[in-house]
Amino acid sequence: MSLIEVRDLTKDYRLNVKKRGLLGAVQSLLVPEYKLKRAVDNINFSIEKGEMVGFIGPNGAGKSTTVKMLTGILSPTSGSIMMGGLSPHKDRKKNASRIGAVFGQRTQLWWDLPVADTYDLLRYIYRIPEKKFEQNMEMFNDLLGIQEFMSQPVRQLSLGQRMRADIAAALLHDPEIVFFDEPTIGLDVVAKEKIREFIKKINAEKNTTMLFTTHDMLDIEKTCKRMIIIDQGTIIYNGTVEQIKERYGRSRTLVAEFAQKLDRIDLPAGVELIDQKDNKKYLKFNRDEIQVSGLIAELTSKYNILDLTVTEPEVEAIIREIYEGGIDFDKGISGDSKKSLSEQYCVPC
Amino acid sequence: MEHKKFSKLELLKLSLKYSKLNLKCTLEYKFDRFFTTLAVFVREMVSIAVMYLILTRVISIKGWQMNEMFFLYSFLFLSYCIFIFLFTGIRDFDNMVYTGELDRYLIRPLGLLYQVISARVDYCATIGHGAVGVILFLSTYNSVGIDWNFRNIVYYILALLGGVIIQTSLFMVSSCFSFWAVRTTNLRNLIFFNSRRFAGYPISFYPGIVQKMLIFAVPFAFVSYFPSEYFLHKPDLSVFWHGCLYLTPVVGIIMFTLVYIFWRLGLKSYSSSGNSMY
Repeated sequence: MSLIEVRDLTKDYRLNVKKRGLLGAVQSLLVPEYKLKRAVDNINFSIEKGEMVGFIGPNGAGKSTTVKMLTGILSPTSGSIMMGGLSPHKDRKKNASRIGAVFGQRTQLWWDLPVADTYDLLRYIYRIPEKKFEQNMEMFNDLLGIQEFMSQPVRQLSLGQRMRADIAAALLHDPEIVFFDEPTIGLDVVAKEKIREFIKKINAEKNTTMLFTTHDMLDIEKTCKRMIIIDQGTIIYNGTVEQIKERYGRSRTLVAEFAQKLDRIDLPAGVELIDQKDNKKYLKFNRDEIQVSGLIAELTSKYNILDLTVTEPEVEAIIREIYEGGIDFDKGISGDSKKSLSEQYCVPC
Repeated sequence: MEHKKFSKLELLKLSLKYSKLNLKCTLEYKFDRFFTTLAVFVREMVSIAVMYLILTRVISIKGWQMNEMFFLYSFLFLSYCIFIFLFTGIRDFDNMVYTGELDRYLIRPLGLLYQVISARVDYCATIGHGAVGVILFLSTYNSVGIDWNFRNIVYYILALLGGVIIQTSLFMVSSCFSFWAVRTTNLRNLIFFNSRRFAGYPISFYPGIVQKMLIFAVPFAFVSYFPSEYFLHKPDLSVFWHGCLYLTPVVGIIMFTLVYIFWRLGLKSYSSSGNSMY
């Protein structure tokens, strides 16, 4: 059995319907009307021990509701979650000692105190043996350099330092499963890279299972093999990052720098001029229809070309296209195919 | 990591750890916190001063002397001081829900109520109210004619703790509403602090409806009036049933039990909706 097993998981929220105007406000105060909103709609997936999985989806897709159910904060409306044989909600405390969580937008560090104080408190909360605590501190210091700001109050740390400190705090008790919610939000490129490296290293060394929710596709590309895309409460893709690129990233862009500025050029059918800057021209084509080598040969025979580069689309661009509805998933690609969302229904109660 | 239940000793140690960190936080801003404490102290002392000025002119109301009135008043301050020292988190609970701190508590291997209670200590309010209480108590305990024998000391402690639990329960009721994403801070302040102001005087001063409210609805009568009457036996007690003198801890325990059930209910509702509705 997998470490995390999610079966037919559904979550409904009961929302208070707010009416417009003063009269409406009074009315909804006296006779509240509710409607059910299905945030997560019958999803299934499983995650093996040591896997790193990225959860992505547009805002309001049901990602954080799913993570809240996995961490035991929310109870499912129906369906089941098993994490190593425990139900996160029913066995909340037991499960909690095996999980860790990093919320990029919120810190669990004591704002006015040095980082070391929070670590010391966590040592008691998770009952971390002295020896393990010291080993971990040493390791985090080697990899994240937390020693340099250990004695500074958290409020004085830079965002990058704070995030490093927060990640160390979440991993201090050697959790089996760690949830990362936007772990690199607001960080510069170097800091992001450092954190990704660290996360990968921990995964390799401790075989920690990790789940990411992020809007930064590079986080996912650089750390995760698998990703689960959620939209409108259902899983629309569950598979490897490579596979989605292979399958949907068929377009290529050839950037050609010409010796002189050309007003117009002859292009073979299927190649589209999408942009131009100075002497550079950006040519888009589908790699299944047009061979790059053929295209380059044709261009070089006709024009004097200084430089050529071929770029493939970033996963981000593909995802954007999926969100916007440009790509329809066929049933073949993943176990969970896209289902039509059950209609939101109103229940006066 | 294998999870086994925390022992009482471990929980106590952890609570001490939390209070130490809270103290450290307070000391980070010594200057500001000093003035916060002073502000609380002065605010409360002003109401005492006003009471003093009025009483020097009126001499006594319904047979209550000034020192007896202040003795009664000291119950309010001392019990509130202990309440804040132990249960600041219950006062600040709505904020924990709002900021998502509660979610953090829920992913830790400890009881929720334990964490809410342990996580915060408002030293400023504790000291501010405590100082007023101690001043009032020290200046009256001798002159109101109480024989401080063992029995009376035990009664005093139990009555004080009962008063703490009654106030805790009152605050907790309004905290519970936060589980349903309803803000009741102002309603609470309206009910709690106004009733508390009533309770600064012997309840026999008031019309029947207010008396009934202070006994049955917001039972502040058991925090200050009845415990004082136990010691002072003023003639106005004859209106009330004598058993009330001993009921403070009982009222506290009953209220807390009911409120705790309400809390469990709220937690259940929270786990089905979260704080996403704010």
